[in-house]
Amino acid sequence: MPIAALKENDMIVWMRCSLPSLAVLVLGTLLGVVPAAAQAPVKITLWHAMGGARYDAITKEIAAGFNKAYPNYVVEPLYTGKYGEVVTKAIAAVRAGDPPHIVQVFEVGTQTMLDSGAIIPVTELVKPGDIDFADYIEPILNYYTVGGKLASMPFNSSTAIIYYNKDIFQKAGLDPDTPPRTYQDLEAMGRKIVGSGAAPAAISFGWPSWMLEQAHAMHDKPYANNDNGRKGRATRVRFNEPFGVSVLERWKRWADEKLLAYGGREYAPNKAFLAGQVAMLMQSTSQVTTIEKAATFRVGTGFLPRIEGQPAGKSVIGGASFWVLKGKGRSEQERDAIVKFFKFIAQPEETAKWHMSTGYFPATKTAVGLLQRQEWFRKHPNHETAFKQIQEGPDTSNTRGVLLGNFVQIRNITDTAIEKALAGRLSPKAALDEAAREADNLLEEYNRIHGGK
Amino acid sequence: MEGRFPDRVLPYLLLLPSIAIIVVFLIVPAVEALRLSLFEVAPFSGRARFVGLDNFRELLTSEVYRASLGVSLVFALGIVTLGLTASLAIAVLASQPLPGAGLCRTALLWPYALSPAVAGTIWALMFDPATGPATVAIRAVTGLSPNWMMDGGYALGVVVVAGAWKMLGFNIVFFLAGLQAVPRELKEAAQVDGAGTGRVFWRITFPILSPVTFFLLVMNSLYAFFEVFGLIDVMTQGGPGGATDILVYRLYEDAFIAARWGIASAQSILLFVMVGVLTLVQFRFAGRLVFYG
Repeated sequence: MPIAALKENDMIVWMRCSLPSLAVLVLGTLLGVVPAAAQAPVKITLWHAMGGARYDAITKEIAAGFNKAYPNYVVEPLYTGKYGEVVTKAIAAVRAGDPPHIVQVFEVGTQTMLDSGAIIPVTELVKPGDIDFADYIEPILNYYTVGGKLASMPFNSSTAIIYYNKDIFQKAGLDPDTPPRTYQDLEAMGRKIVGSGAAPAAISFGWPSWMLEQAHAMHDKPYANNDNGRKGRATRVRFNEPFGVSVLERWKRWADEKLLAYGGREYAPNKAFLAGQVAMLMQSTSQVTTIEKAATFRVGTGFLPRIEGQPAGKSVIGGASFWVLKGKGRSEQERDAIVKFFKFIAQPEETAKWHMSTGYFPATKTAVGLLQRQEWFRKHPNHETAFKQIQEGPDTSNTRGVLLGNFVQIRNITDTAIEKALAGRLSPKAALDEAAREADNLLEEYNRIHGGK
Repeated sequence: MEGRFPDRVLPYLLLLPSIAIIVVFLIVPAVEALRLSLFEVAPFSGRARFVGLDNFRELLTSEVYRASLGVSLVFALGIVTLGLTASLAIAVLASQPLPGAGLCRTALLWPYALSPAVAGTIWALMFDPATGPATVAIRAVTGLSPNWMMDGGYALGVVVVAGAWKMLGFNIVFFLAGLQAVPRELKEAAQVDGAGTGRVFWRITFPILSPVTFFLLVMNSLYAFFEVFGLIDVMTQGGPGGATDILVYRLYEDAFIAARWGIASAQSILLFVMVGVLTLVQFRFAGRLVFYG
């Protein structure tokens, strides 16, 4: 009996799977059409991590727009989870032998992708002249260029800026059009805000360890050895050196003075800012549109505040880019479809639209020109802040953004250290030393597995 | 009535599907985990390097891992104590013959029916440091402004309460069933002998409930070690500063976010051994106190 039942089940499954295709085949033969791929559009799968307002922008605007413009090609976007999860799923897919054509990976995954052996670098895919990479804004291009080769296609690049609540500033007797330029400004303004009762706390920030990375880049300080991991693989982090410790000590003082209300990782503290519980927020530019839409007050933005007496650097690029996975080899048509898709997103109109719907950088100079002609920045000054900020300061190995193996874990470790220090469970120095020890172990492990280089 | 199979093959055939499922979904992955725990694995290529017991050595000497173990124990103790006490108290109240008792008993089941993601979101919103109604209430009453994004002890407290709350329905159902099995005559006899309510409860009801309590002790411990993953992921992600970083969450991070499969497998083996030992200990010591009537 059980055997018979099993067989019957198998039959049903088999029939369910093959009947439709069988029907298509028969129908095709009857009509004298060979159901081959001659006319069928070439499908390109794209795994991404764009939730919220960005979901519509990537599916309805970008993918749908491309599919309309290129009837022979179809890009299928699929939301596969948060950034970290997308990478893990891509790894599983690569190992199973059927990866997506394109995967969106956050900047933290760059080293892992470079060492994966599973990618086709953009330089190898795009023929010279197909896409004008010189048109890309340099810091963005620099981030994803490793060893002189462009590894992945820049897409959603961001950096961190400071957002502030103009209404609270006014209530506290501050000029609502002047954001803090330095840490001292921030502290003076913060004391006034808290002292006057205009808001319970002055400042919060998202992505704590990214903010520590930003502070290093903003003041031209290395975050890891080997030129931030760009000359060779990093083997040691340097965030526990005096500069990093001094930054965390400063944040800790803010917390002690009740200026800083730590609100959690990633985008969690947005809520406190939007509720008027904190007056200022250091956060990714990708949130400009979201925050402006959700705020019930006037939102101002400014450059990340600088630490007085420190050399000038540049704020660092974050966000994600598109990586091409080779799978079991891609056909000429698939390669062409991918290149056409990249060409499509590099168009000034598309780049500008993506920027307008999200707040990510308009990544090319022509897109910026287009936006200027449309007077977009005049009407939406908050969308311009990050763009202006990224153009200030020198281009050095410290400002190009650090590359680390096991970076996802290292971010997590650094977040933990910052939280321990802010809560007073460890001194800033002890917390960062502990984190650096763990991070160095992870780097060692990573380099051991991937072979020295 | 005792039936016998007509031949020797049929019973094994009937068992085959279950055995196949156990082999495919339990034995094979367990053996694979054991094998992987001895390797360091490159995420994409899968290239593995044999490291012997290094993964275990690294874990056992890691301060972070030991801290995580400590958190897990505190967490489990909190959930078991709070969960069992609260649900027993509620079950005793709900077993009183009152109008609308049936409705109440049904309502008490609700938390258990919620998915961990939904329950986690509710608690996270309630205790949001800026806007949560619970935070606002605490601020109004005590003047304090607790921030569980920063204060680890408070965060652990909130997660324990949320975790215990989530299990309430499950516990209450078993306690209610147990309470109904307490013979009325025994209680009445005790009352005739002059025992007060408290004495009747501790001397009669509680011992009769002990098999149920013991069962729930084991189930709640397992729950605290494995199933609260969803709550933690939605509410704290192990933070702040590792204060709610229980073993199973750490394991998830290493395996599914960082793709460090070797060390993650080693963690799963350690976790398995630890929970196995814990359950044995419970059977050995608590099991002796159980009164099976």
